[in-house]
Amino acid sequence: MAKVSFLEKLDSLDRRIIFLIIALVVFIPLLVPMGLPIETTQLTEDAFYALDELPQDAKILMSFEYGPSTKPEIHPMAISVLRHLFSKGNKVIIMCLWPDGLFMANEVLDLVARQEFDLEYGVDYVNLGYRPGNEAIIKGITKSFAANFSIDSKGTSISQIPIMHDVQTARDVDFIFSLSAGYPGAIEWVLYAGDPLQIPVSSGNTSIQVNQLLPYVKSGQMKGIIAGMPGAAEYETMVIRKIENNIGIITDEARELLPNFKERRNATKFMDAQSIAHLMIVLFIVLGNISFFVKRRKQKKY
Amino acid sequence: MYIGILGAWIAVFLTLSILSYLYEDNVFYKFAEHIFVGVSAAHWASIAFWNQLQPNLFGRLWPQAEIAALDGFQKFWYGIYHGLHIIFGKIFPEATINGVLYRGIGDQPQNLTYLIAFVLGLFMLFRLIPKIGWLSRWSLAYVIGMAAGLRLYGYMSSDVIGQIHATMLPLWTGDVGSSINNIILIVGVLTGLFYFFFSVEHKGALKVVSRIGIYFLMIYFGASFGFAVMGRISLLIGRFNDLILYSGKEYGFATPILLVVMIVVLILTTRKKKSEEV
Repeated sequence: MAKVSFLEKLDSLDRRIIFLIIALVVFIPLLVPMGLPIETTQLTEDAFYALDELPQDAKILMSFEYGPSTKPEIHPMAISVLRHLFSKGNKVIIMCLWPDGLFMANEVLDLVARQEFDLEYGVDYVNLGYRPGNEAIIKGITKSFAANFSIDSKGTSISQIPIMHDVQTARDVDFIFSLSAGYPGAIEWVLYAGDPLQIPVSSGNTSIQVNQLLPYVKSGQMKGIIAGMPGAAEYETMVIRKIENNIGIITDEARELLPNFKERRNATKFMDAQSIAHLMIVLFIVLGNISFFVKRRKQKKY
Repeated sequence: MYIGILGAWIAVFLTLSILSYLYEDNVFYKFAEHIFVGVSAAHWASIAFWNQLQPNLFGRLWPQAEIAALDGFQKFWYGIYHGLHIIFGKIFPEATINGVLYRGIGDQPQNLTYLIAFVLGLFMLFRLIPKIGWLSRWSLAYVIGMAAGLRLYGYMSSDVIGQIHATMLPLWTGDVGSSINNIILIVGVLTGLFYFFFSVEHKGALKVVSRIGIYFLMIYFGASFGFAVMGRISLLIGRFNDLILYSGKEYGFATPILLVVMIVVLILTTRKKKSEEV
């Protein structure tokens, strides 16, 4: 009987051992962070500067299209983008095309708008809540907000919300930012609002969506994207860097909140685990391929 | 406080139950899976009803109105509302403000064309009654027609025209780097499209073009796989972060206790299964 080498054994390795190794390489860096450096990329920079260049009185429509299953990737982006916008004094209108998006939006607003910036609901920001209808809702708000959102998430009539007084349709907002984990999401915003109305659109999205969205970035239909957890970590870094280096418009509240922002950097904290896990997966792929070729060579021999 | 601790224990139990599938299919996983399906459906239905149907449909058919001021058809129409209020008081509320009786929902202008949507919605429910189930096809026809029309327009203008326009790039821009980028993009698009062109046999020079198309597609699939791995690892990090958070004293050591209990139960059930097989 031919002797079985280590590389051949790898070919028939119990998959549960691989799961265990992945669990360990994710778990250990979370317990013992290494603080690997974060380098910003063009995609994130484009999204950041597109929002940063908006004037102080700009109104931004943020749409929440994600839920608990994609929260680790997109929630840190939602927090960072809101911190960025509120630190410039921008007004934010929030809506949700996913039912779970409502809870995600409430959670982010409670942290950033209420606890950190202490802003006034209805004046500085509003949460219009969830509406079923996917792209039909997007198409609908290009004609009328009131026809699709008669009340906000708290049940207040839209006509009684000050921030909505001069916002009749999607044409009246200066930027659309979609926090997207699938359908309906960023693509639908480009197709039914961004392109027809010529409103700039950007997105914070899951890693899986990146390949689908890149053609829209390349063509200029989207102003950069925040891609997955690495994108979120980059955006966190850029917001902190902006306030630290006093670049552009920054409110006094944001300067006071800087230590808080530095302390609560979720995406950056997670990036050590992400990087180590990626290295391990690359190693698995290399070993798996070597094992495959060794086995095939041996089979040819006999 | 106790609600928070209970919530943490439930979250940890459900997370570990789902992760236990990586070991093998088991009772914990099945339990968590069924809970997830049921809760998701109920959660979606409840949110959709109170956020959409009640304010946007019923609110437009019966916006809030002072009953004493109504006459003619409106009096009759709000009489129907009153009947619905008697049966479903929470969905169709009535209010007395300063001694004046109001019926209806919200302050949107009345729009009775929403009756068409209401009737089509009811038709969908007729699927539950086989004899008149065919009526639901009318509603489906509306949904399909509306969605197809809406999407066709979006895809044509943004995906087809927008993307073709974005591919019409100069091969020489004056800068070597961006010129190479443009050439790669154009070659990738043309060869990728040619790979899916089956009206001529791919042989000779055409085979080479088709092959290049495959290589571009393979690079795309490789990048997609990489992004998919990145996404899944991110989700795992999120769950582990919560498990670490809930392992502390303030949450009653939820993670370590439940982890040990589940491992013991899984080992015992596996042993039992093996002994039964023998």
